[in-house]
Parts: sequence; structure tokens; C-alpha cells
Amino acid sequence: MNTDNTKAQMRKGILEYCILAVLSRNSCYAVDIINELKKAEVIVVEGTLYPLLTRQKNAGLLSYRWEESPQGPPRKYYELTEVGKIYLNELDKSWEALVESVNQIRDKK
Amino acid sequence: MHGINFYLYLCFVKLICINRYLIIKTMKVTVNINLGGYAFNVDEDAYERLRQYMKTLEKEFSGESSSAEIMTDIEGRIAELFKMRLNSYKQVITMKDVEEVMVILGSPELISGSSTSEERPPRSQRRIYRDPDRRIIGGICAGLGAYFNWDPLIWRVLFAALVLAGGFGIALYLILWIVLPEAKTTAQKLEMKGDPVTIENIKDTVKEEFETVKKKMNL
Repeated sequence: MNTDNTKAQMRKGILEYCILAVLSRNSCYAVDIINELKKAEVIVVEGTLYPLLTRQKNAGLLSYRWEESPQGPPRKYYELTEVGKIYLNELDKSWEALVESVNQIRDKK
Repeated sequence: MHGINFYLYLCFVKLICINRYLIIKTMKVTVNINLGGYAFNVDEDAYERLRQYMKTLEKEFSGESSSAEIMTDIEGRIAELFKMRLNSYKQVITMKDVEEVMVILGSPELISGSSTSEERPPRSQRRIYRDPDRRIIGGICAGLGAYFNWDPLIWRVLFAALVLAGGFGIALYLILWIVLPEAKTTAQKLEMKGDPVTIENIKDTVKEEFETVKKKMNL
């Protein structure tokens, strides 16, 4: 068994949740999200984020607006929609339940 | 005195060589490209690298319903990263820039997370073709030989025996001639031998064919 493989799978599972959590505070440009996720070591490369953002936008969880950029092309600023907020709320609950379950199993004497 | 002269001469030759090398290294052809609505001057080799990268990314996202949008986002980001690397002293995107950007964005395998799944080998499917390269009549026996990995001679003897035994062999041969397609392209020739159709294999086969032609023409 390869631990890297398992770790990657775990990270992949929570990545969508993390993106929504970052956006719950304020609207962000993709690179802001990336920086935050990189700092938390949830994501390794930028390219992973773009398909996920588009998928979440198509699912109605996110919306975006264009904003001028001092460097390069205009940027897409993403924010949570009402549906996205409800969705995040659900994920929050299930995350807490998950952590509790894992802890319960781990700490069992 | 003679020795010093010779030494100076050597230095001179060396200098010319270095100069030559520098000129070849520095005078690169650039390509003008449009990325996210911005024009960039890119070294030719860097452009080729970038183009291949974008192509593999596109393939990676081809299953996605809005792959075009994802690609536009990525293109915009690359444009931004390139812009950050340019200033009034540096006007051309080099191989180093492209490679840095590729590290930031990640390899297609890392992006799709397929690094977590097993590498899938390229599709190799064996099919029966008529082999035009080793044919005597229609290439049926050569094709069957390639498919079963036998010497075509075995098939030829078999068919000859069938022909002598009552003419059934002729009918069978004709039917096979009609039914079996000829291996025309390199990909088909690889399929005939059961080799996976990859760029490397195609390159090898083409090289082989070139050698054969060269030998035939006594070059």
C-alpha cells in the first residue's frame, strides 16, 4: 500500500468542501483560493482547482463576476450562491460527524 | 617562440568556436501567440513545449462538459503568469518560463488526480490485416503470419496443400482477400503485429520502413 496514494485520495475528497469554505468568508479570485489551499497543504498544483470551480459553478453552488486586473486578463471573482451556502452548511455538519466518527474509532481502548 | 604562436592560434580558434556557439544559442526564432487576448513573443522551442502541454490538458478535460471554459480559465492564468515574467528588459517568453508555469499549474496527471489510479497502458488491439510489405499474392499469408506470430511460410504451405487437395484453397484465399483490409497506415501495421499504437512505435516503424527503402534503392 502506498501512503501517498491514500493521502491524495483523502485530500481529493475534502477539496470541494475546502473551496466552499474559503469562499464562505468573501468572494475570491482563483489565485486567492489557491494560495489559501496551498498554505493548508490541501492542494499541490493550481490546475486542479479550475475544473472544480467550473463544476461547482455549473452545479449552481458558485457564481462569478469579472473584475479588472492590474496584470493580464480580467479575473473571475467567485462567490457562494444561496444554494452554495445551504450546501456548505450540509457539508459542515457531515464533516463534524465524520471527524467524530473517526475519533471515536481511533480512541477506542 | 614557435610554441607561443601555436598557443595563440589555439586561443583564436577557441574564441571563434565560443562565438559561434553563443550566436546559435542566442539567436532563436520566436513565435507570436495569443493567450487570453494578450500577444506574447515565445521562443520556438518554448512554444512547442507549451503547445504540447495545452494539448494534453485539453485531452485531460475532454470528458468534462465545459472543457472549453476550463481551458479558457487556464489560458488566462498562463497569460497572467507570463505577464508577471516580462518587463522592459525581458520581452520574450523562454523555455524556463514555460517550465515554471507548468510546475505551478501542474502536470496533467497531477491535475486530474489520475496519479492515484494505475497507469493504463495504451490500447493494443490485434487485428488481422493483409500485409502488403511481405506479400507474394495478396498478402494474406503474411498478414495471418503477423497476426498469429508464425512464419508466413507455414500458411503458404497450408494454402498450397488446400489448393492441391481440391481447389477449396483458392476460394478461401479469394474470400479472405475480399474480407481482410490491407494494412495501409503505420498504425494498422502496428495493430497487425499486436504492438500498441503509440507515437514511439510509429516513429520506430517509420524509421524501419525508411531503412528498407534506402536498402532497396542502394543508397
